[in-house]
Amino acid sequence: MANYLSEEHIEGHEHEDQEHIGIPGYLVVFGILVVGTILTYFTSFLDLDKIFAGANTLLALLIAFTKMTVVVLYFMHVRWSSRLVWLTAIAGFFWLAIMFAFTMQDYLTRSSGTF
Amino acid sequence: MANHADTHDDHYHPPGLQHQFDDMKQQMDSVTIGMWAFLVQEIMFFGGLFTVYLVFRSRYPMAFAAGSNHLDPFWGGLNTLVLIVSSLTMALTVYYAQKGNRNMQVILIVLTMLFGTVFLGVKAVEYNDKYNHGLIPVNGWNKKIKEGEHTTEKSSLTLPFETKVSAASEEGKTEVHANPKGNFQIEDKDLELVQNAVNGNYLTQSEKIGYFNANNEIDKGMFTGKVQIFFWIYFVMTGLHALHMIIGLGVMLWLLWMAWRGTFTAQYFAPVEIAGLYWHFVDIVWIFLFPLLYLLGRHFLH
Repeated sequence: MANYLSEEHIEGHEHEDQEHIGIPGYLVVFGILVVGTILTYFTSFLDLDKIFAGANTLLALLIAFTKMTVVVLYFMHVRWSSRLVWLTAIAGFFWLAIMFAFTMQDYLTRSSGTF
Repeated sequence: MANHADTHDDHYHPPGLQHQFDDMKQQMDSVTIGMWAFLVQEIMFFGGLFTVYLVFRSRYPMAFAAGSNHLDPFWGGLNTLVLIVSSLTMALTVYYAQKGNRNMQVILIVLTMLFGTVFLGVKAVEYNDKYNHGLIPVNGWNKKIKEGEHTTEKSSLTLPFETKVSAASEEGKTEVHANPKGNFQIEDKDLELVQNAVNGNYLTQSEKIGYFNANNEIDKGMFTGKVQIFFWIYFVMTGLHALHMIIGLGVMLWLLWMAWRGTFTAQYFAPVEIAGLYWHFVDIVWIFLFPLLYLLGRHFLH
């Protein structure tokens, strides 16, 4: 799999009509997304919060991040895009992380009033 | 365009190439980075709403779990699958556009639009269910049900793989209560989550203040207000997402028209690629909305 991916990669630079991962590759990505969705659905019934608070949500988010990563890399072709596109995409999520972190470092350290 | 021939020498240039670009690759890189700049803006746009979600859920996790248990994960999960299939057909549209295969492009764009429409249809069914059960977070906007008129209809599906316990609690929640003024209302059994949290001693500091009255009893009115916050977030986030789907369907219609006329070739397929980026982005937003809205309280039910 990895071998034929890299072949496509080299070919893509030579020809205008790059195929990326081709139909079998797209179907594999699709399969990962379906399995991830089904896994998310069924793990939500397990009481993982007994392990530690928020474990259910953490697992669901881990699966969601995995799904997002394959969509961005393969369906959105970022894997074959220029460094500038990589930088733009990563910057977007980095700024999002800053927004979450700076907001929560405020709210979580304040006295716990109600809204 | 009258001057088009004058400004060029006789050398070959691809039909889709705009004047300001040196070659097709530079043009493709430029439109891609432009679209990504737009998508980063969209990330921040939805990110603000996710921040709201984060702040309120960290304060009132039990109210969010109670609200989440009123959503049907079957419909949410089905919609996730529908969007994933539409993402696949979109990715294949780009693939066939790169091949210059007109017929497959048209077929796949129509399929993508079909799945997008199914998604919105399911969303409409869900919103209607919330309207019937008094879960629209604006008082007076829900279905008005007179005293004595209420029934115990079964409106959600019981899935073959659901346990008997969860199916039973599923049936319990479909009871429609009298709601003469069309207000936002929850059921007494929703308070069980708070009671369990009290027994298990895992209420957050905000919850200890936010759910209880002066006599330190669970206050249904106060708790209802916190569940209402969850439904505000649910409707704003899924509503904004649905708006993106509607815009996406408009873009697809335009793409269908261009593909029908055979615009796209192996050299020129940028509009398909760009529309694909948008469609996949909307799919990603749903990938996060599904677990964060639908699956919060399932493990408390049994």
